[in-house]
Amino acid sequence: MKHANKKSASHVQPSVHVHSAEKQETLLTLSILTLAAILSFATRLFSVLRFESVIHEFDPYFNYRTTKYLAEQGFYKFHNWFDDRAWYPLGRIIGGTIYPGLMVTSAALYHLSWLLHINVDIRNVCVFLAPLFSSFTTIITYLLTKEVHNAGAGLVAAAFVSIVPGYISRSVAGSYDNEGIAIFCMLLTYYAWIKAVKTGTIRWGAFAALAYFYMVSSWGGYVFLINLIPLHVLTLMITGRFSHRVYVAYSTLYCIGTILSMQISFVGFQPVQSSEHMLALGVFGLCQIVASVDYMRSKLSRADFETLYTFVFYSVGIVTLAVGTILSISGKISPWTGRFYSLLDPSYAKNHIPIIASVSEHQPTSWSSFYFDLQILVFLFPAGLYFCFKQLTDSNIFLILYGITSIYFAGVMVRLMLVLAPIMCILSGITVSHLLTKFMKNVVEQPKQAEHKKYKKMEANSTFKNEIATTFVAVTCVLLISYTFHCTWVTSEAYSSPSIVLSARSHDGGRIIFDDFREAYYWLKMNTPEDARVMSWWDYGYQITAMANRTILVDNNTWNNTHISRVGQAMASSEEKAYEIMRELDVDYVLVIFGGLTGYSSDDINKFLWMVRIGGSTEKGAHIKEWDYYSPTGEFRVDKEGSPTLLNCLMYKMCYYRFGQVFTEGGKPGGYDRVRSAEIGNKDFELDVLEEAYTTEHWLVRIYKVKDLPNRGV
Amino acid sequence: MYKTVLLLLCGALITATENVNKQLVLKNVDRSIDLTTQLVKVSATITIENTGKEATRTFLLVNEPNTPEERVSYIGAKESNKYELKVSKAKLDDYPDKSAYSVRLNQPLESGRTVTVTLEQILTRSLHPYPTSITQKEKQLVRYFGNHYFYTPYAVIKQKTDVMLSSRTIESYTKLKPVSQSDSTISYGPYNNIEPLTDDQMIVHFENNSPFLTVTRLERSIEISHWGNIAVEENIEIRHTGALLKGPFSRYDYQRDTATTHHSVKAYRTILPAAAHSIYYRDSNGNISTSAVKPFKDWIQLELRPRFPLFGGWKTSYTLGYSVPSYQYLFKKPSGEYVLVMRLLDHVFDDMHVEELITSVILPVGVSNIKVVPPYEVERLEDEVTYKYLDNLGRKVIRLRKTNLVEQHIQDLEISYNWQQAMLLHEPILIALALFLMFILAIIYVRLDFSLSKPEHSKKE
Repeated sequence: MKHANKKSASHVQPSVHVHSAEKQETLLTLSILTLAAILSFATRLFSVLRFESVIHEFDPYFNYRTTKYLAEQGFYKFHNWFDDRAWYPLGRIIGGTIYPGLMVTSAALYHLSWLLHINVDIRNVCVFLAPLFSSFTTIITYLLTKEVHNAGAGLVAAAFVSIVPGYISRSVAGSYDNEGIAIFCMLLTYYAWIKAVKTGTIRWGAFAALAYFYMVSSWGGYVFLINLIPLHVLTLMITGRFSHRVYVAYSTLYCIGTILSMQISFVGFQPVQSSEHMLALGVFGLCQIVASVDYMRSKLSRADFETLYTFVFYSVGIVTLAVGTILSISGKISPWTGRFYSLLDPSYAKNHIPIIASVSEHQPTSWSSFYFDLQILVFLFPAGLYFCFKQLTDSNIFLILYGITSIYFAGVMVRLMLVLAPIMCILSGITVSHLLTKFMKNVVEQPKQAEHKKYKKMEANSTFKNEIATTFVAVTCVLLISYTFHCTWVTSEAYSSPSIVLSARSHDGGRIIFDDFREAYYWLKMNTPEDARVMSWWDYGYQITAMANRTILVDNNTWNNTHISRVGQAMASSEEKAYEIMRELDVDYVLVIFGGLTGYSSDDINKFLWMVRIGGSTEKGAHIKEWDYYSPTGEFRVDKEGSPTLLNCLMYKMCYYRFGQVFTEGGKPGGYDRVRSAEIGNKDFELDVLEEAYTTEHWLVRIYKVKDLPNRGV
Repeated sequence: MYKTVLLLLCGALITATENVNKQLVLKNVDRSIDLTTQLVKVSATITIENTGKEATRTFLLVNEPNTPEERVSYIGAKESNKYELKVSKAKLDDYPDKSAYSVRLNQPLESGRTVTVTLEQILTRSLHPYPTSITQKEKQLVRYFGNHYFYTPYAVIKQKTDVMLSSRTIESYTKLKPVSQSDSTISYGPYNNIEPLTDDQMIVHFENNSPFLTVTRLERSIEISHWGNIAVEENIEIRHTGALLKGPFSRYDYQRDTATTHHSVKAYRTILPAAAHSIYYRDSNGNISTSAVKPFKDWIQLELRPRFPLFGGWKTSYTLGYSVPSYQYLFKKPSGEYVLVMRLLDHVFDDMHVEELITSVILPVGVSNIKVVPPYEVERLEDEVTYKYLDNLGRKVIRLRKTNLVEQHIQDLEISYNWQQAMLLHEPILIALALFLMFILAIIYVRLDFSLSKPEHSKKE
């Protein structure tokens, strides 16, 4: 409510004419911005208040672990860190395979606060970093919109972005991931870029390059940025708006930005080699040509110029083509990566790389989730586009391009909703500000008009002007209020569960907490040998290394497909086969997630088909065929109807070991699986090569120890 | 890191060489050995008679040959159940290989007189699981190796011993007649006229399912704030030191097994001071959600459940913290000196055994003239300096260390120091100054114009 009032207040303000209006405006702007920034921080704290200050999900645990290492050991050790806890026996060079921006940011904040003797725990820095940066995002959104449009639109956009669920989904307290700071970096770069385009100074160009560097250091999504800006330049060129300002801005940004981005060891030489960056390079070259052409034209006679132009055009074209062909044939320009292909062709991943398709956040976005994440912004967005088209400027073209490209990408991959959210807010902010400014005038100025000279004429035109305006403003307010409620509800219901601690309602309304994950990880940490190797599906890799500090075989950095496939094969094979694989991989413990007792649906049995697919996707796993795991009628079932291959594979046995004796629900036979709603098909079996090492209180995590080879003659 | 190790000598604990006074005779020894918990609690009521001519003030205690000194956690003596007697380590001239203690009586024992002394001795790590590893369903059996006779350098005229066990299930026990067993108690004796230092091994093999938990390391930190709060934080490492778990752990069996006595430990109770508030219980992975606080009139009972049940050989670690108001523990002497009176060690669970304790007391900023009075002999580690919230001047940390402690060691530590009241305002002034400076800078920055020349047409929208 407060929020909506605030928004409408910002539009009353331009029409208030009092003394020192400017000072009042500054005060109002500052207070609205401050409130929006505080709100954006506060609304992200649901999970901290409900549970505790804890890191969420999977990837954030890796980021947290590396940040801790960086904070404790210093940058050089971090840079050269070879992690032998992951990807046994391969290991992973952490320094060269991550975007260090996030870790460096939080380590810097951590050291700064310790320098001031504000003793915060590194975990708390990590937990609250994303909300902090979303506050910054709010401010930078205001600046960007103000630069493109006006301050009023900026304030509305800032208010929108502070609570937009599409952004909150990845920046709640505890969700310590690259995206948390990357959105801020991205908008900062855009802001500096718009500034550079508008002023044409090297200073802003260089600042944009620095912001771009920060963006590159923090998120792989920088590729979107380094394609969008050249696209902007290209569009400006085509529409005949190319100027010296754009030339200076882009040349500075590209040169400095590329050199800086190559300092990130994970990026390396990609900016000059990979196809994803070729647009930027091409546009840079084009800029030089267009600029020199313009220069030549101003110095030469028309006939001379034509001759020169034809010659240069053809020779440059041929040389570029030749060099490009040679480079791509010789493999210098790397082919596009799978994830990038799947951006352009949504069905690519599904058909070719099961590991990409298996991640839920790589799925195409459904229509409902657009509304869920953006609510009224979805409707205000086209109107914003319209207003931008109506008064085309260099910077408005940028907004249009950003809006259209990001809405495409968001449609392809759920994860990229994040990139779309800010531009939705900016364009909607422009719409709301535009409309309200128009109508508020009528609400306020009506009495004045009555005294006007052309009294009768005006009256004829605006019989219900005041009423219509009032109604419109009221409707807008209701919409904005409903947006606020929707956002708060979505945040609290959908995006604020840490997923490491689960909670459920009991019959009497009390809250039950399932803390099984931490229970299991802590057990591993305390009661297994320091160098024990734990096999689990890759989802839990980061959590195990971070919380249990044990060596794992595969983790969420899915860089080695064959290794993951090997683990998938072990899980999908029969016990004897699996034992061979486990001996080969030196596995000591196996960890599975089982939700059958509590009804936790994202457990390993439900992920099992992916294990089968990924396991069968390599040469060594050719014997694993997905169809063997379906029942004759083509279903995936765990009960008696299920296929015998499934009922006897390692994963099934580990999940359901001794589960047949457990009564989960009244009136149902023993071994009733509450997720799959079926009585399990294979009940009384013993494990030959494994023994149960630990099972958590609610059976969510089960850990097995791989037995040694039996002694001879026993 | 080099640490200067200071030995703080408390009271009259000075190792002295002594001779055994042959004139002393123990007329009667009534001994009971309590084996119901993981500790061995020996208490003995002895009647000492001085048969010599001269009065004597001290008598001697000697450790049993199969009880090394490091297993003796605590020795206490009381005269006729009233006066606490001083016990100090002693060296025997006659038996240099034996570790001994000398007890100083309240009054000199005149010739021909008798005195009754109650001795209390707590032994740790003296119950040995046998078999050393058991499966989840099996019961835990332990063996105790003791002595049928009270081990003493004096002649004993008459003595008897009761051994209290935790259950009726007794596998075996040595039968030195006269001996009888009723329920869970074995009675040895009476034995008459036993020579000095007679050793006859007693072995009792019985079922003991009481929690065998050892605190392997306890780091207790006490942080004093003169704003009225004392924050206590304990980092505790615990290990189940009973019979090791053999084979698998089955959650199914564990959930079905509702027997009240089981060798695994599900939960235990910690007692906190009644005024404790802001209690937290967590480990390196965050809050442990399974704990319950029950306030009583004189204390707060905390039911702590580790993340997982503890079986033999399993360990866990956690942090327990709370705050207490300082007026109950921090006093000001008329001389202006402040005295902190707080427990050096606090309760972790009943019949606890702490292998290593490190207590650090974080004093306020700017203290001087620190005096430390520990309740018993402790090792004082090198002082440290730490920086807490907004401390630009460091705070002194007093660190004390002691090994092998039991409940009897829950005693008060006294630290006195001088401190200026004005130091209280140190940090608020610092913050005020910093903010003030920041605003001044902002004001100056806004007012000043650093440009060399005014732009001819400023770009205003």
